[in-house]
Amino acid sequence: MGDLLSGFADALTPGNLLWAFIGVTIGTAVGVLPGIGPALTVALLLPVTFRLEPAAALIMFAGIYYGGMYGGSTTSILLNTPGESASVATALEGNKMARAGRGAAALATAAIGSFVAGTIGTIALSAAAPLVADIAIHFGPPEYVALMAVAFVTVSALLGPSLLKGAAGLVIGATIGLVGIDTQTGQARLAFGLPSLFDGIDVVIVVVALFALGETFAHLLAGTGDSRVEPLRGQPMLSRDDFRRSWPAWLRGTALGFPIGSLPAGGADVPTFLSYSIEKRLSKRPEQFGRGAIEGVAGPEAANNAAAAGVLVPLLTIGLPTSATAAVILTAFQSYGLQPGPQLFSESGDLVWALIASLYIGNVLLLVLNLPLAKVWVRLLAIPAYGIYAGVLVFACLGAFAAGGTIADLIVLTVLGLVGLLMREAGVPVAPAVVGLILAPLAEQQLRRALALSEGDWSTLVSSPLTVILWAVVLLALVAPPLFARVKKHRRHIDEVRTG
Amino acid sequence: MTDIEEGRPLPETPELAHREARAAGALGVLMVLAGIVVLIDAARLRDSDETLGPAAAPTLLGILLAVIGGALAFQSRHFLRTAQGPKRNLWRLAALVVVLIAFALLLPIMGYVVSSAGLFVGAALLLGAPHPARVLAYGWTLAIVVFLVFDVLIGLSLPTGPWGF
Repeated sequence: MGDLLSGFADALTPGNLLWAFIGVTIGTAVGVLPGIGPALTVALLLPVTFRLEPAAALIMFAGIYYGGMYGGSTTSILLNTPGESASVATALEGNKMARAGRGAAALATAAIGSFVAGTIGTIALSAAAPLVADIAIHFGPPEYVALMAVAFVTVSALLGPSLLKGAAGLVIGATIGLVGIDTQTGQARLAFGLPSLFDGIDVVIVVVALFALGETFAHLLAGTGDSRVEPLRGQPMLSRDDFRRSWPAWLRGTALGFPIGSLPAGGADVPTFLSYSIEKRLSKRPEQFGRGAIEGVAGPEAANNAAAAGVLVPLLTIGLPTSATAAVILTAFQSYGLQPGPQLFSESGDLVWALIASLYIGNVLLLVLNLPLAKVWVRLLAIPAYGIYAGVLVFACLGAFAAGGTIADLIVLTVLGLVGLLMREAGVPVAPAVVGLILAPLAEQQLRRALALSEGDWSTLVSSPLTVILWAVVLLALVAPPLFARVKKHRRHIDEVRTG
Repeated sequence: MTDIEEGRPLPETPELAHREARAAGALGVLMVLAGIVVLIDAARLRDSDETLGPAAAPTLLGILLAVIGGALAFQSRHFLRTAQGPKRNLWRLAALVVVLIAFALLLPIMGYVVSSAGLFVGAALLLGAPHPARVLAYGWTLAIVVFLVFDVLIGLSLPTGPWGF
């Protein structure tokens, strides 16, 4: 608690408040742009923070992260173009509400729900993170290997349309992660003798290429889009009835989002969809679902934001990113000279607590900023698509150049952009690729370390109860979904036979 | 349309599903090829005295690339055999790639502002912008603002042309 208070003291200086304010503003502005989800927002804006001192950079970064989440929900509701799969559930009911002229209420429930969930999630983060870090400090390489195996399997199973396509994304990312000099033996892998590939490919470049260039290329192929911005009437406000229907959904969404988000598995998509189906089931007016039910916006939006705070638990305490956004945040930490993991709290505790305090502050700033400024953000949506995508390309190239600093990085960016386009067209999700890119080299390093410590004895991987449990989870995650699908099919078949 | 119970977006029309299957097939073939390249690259690495040498991870990933890619290609084999659909704006994609590579090559020579303005104008026109003159004005403004903010204000040193910006 004292740590958190001193974090607030650091974050509340006028200078740092200004950075937080700038962070949430540009985070929202970029996050609002169609097709740009939080992961890409964070990756595109990362260069902005490069030259700041670590504390200011982290504080601004926290603002960008939460701002990007807020901006994304505005786009989902008014334009029906969710920037990432975690906003799909919000778009379902939110866009229907906007079409029915209730866009303002949808934006309000999303903004207040995000605030409630973000605040509760951040409180839970401040309570849970030190505890998890205390446990994680006893983890050895075998535990890390098992944890990463869990993350690999669940990320490919949960973040994609099918296990095969999710695994394809993961393996593509992991292969990109191989490029560069092997730290143990000093040999270059997959560098093809090109000096600029010896240091590996920067994560920012991969994220920007797969998300931003992939999206732009896809837009170019599809021709001019005919997406329609729903007009916003009135100030974003909740009527008494709207509020009564919203608040239980916010709390339920938060209760789903934070715990699931903080598991070392799978990120924010699952709780949003779970929340949507729970709200639909619990609603007294289920007939409104599919036509603009406010609970269907409130629940998933809260779940999404609570999960965004939850994802920070494994990220900060174990160094394990489980979503594309978390993977980019990990890179940001590394570029500020910080290594997330159990030591982070003991070594750079003041910075971490300043970051967590900024998350609270960012949340308040966003609520203050978003409700009155909703109309300004809506105006950003009216920028024609060619302007947005051409601008995104300019920033993508700037980001790649700032991260790498050479011409070769821009060529790599273009090539990976084409890979991203093909993945997108093939329905192969990009998020597992980003997670694989970050986690695969770490997993390799930990596995080699584990085997070096055990002098080549593979049984070290299952030497503690925790590792056995984690490997059991891996097996279960691989076996259960196909089995589950078969049971479901069988049941459906029985139902069909019964109903004739 | 979205199958919300499963949480999975479905392709909207048979045509889109067809297109997706064809792209998946192409990606699968590409992954098999990449897998072979990765395996060849792994084979030339010198072994170390570790239990797991530097070649272990690439070998595993090479095999996975080939197997998963093969599975993707196999799944969409029916679609790969059928005739190509209409060529959709492929020349625009090629042109945009050329613009991006030109940007990369011209950046150190022409400086950030000129090359970025060029990138913006090229991309916007390919994306169907109606007024070239207006796009040029937007591009210049954006490039200058970015240069001022990032180079002058933040101190990220961006390449300058012979004219100092």
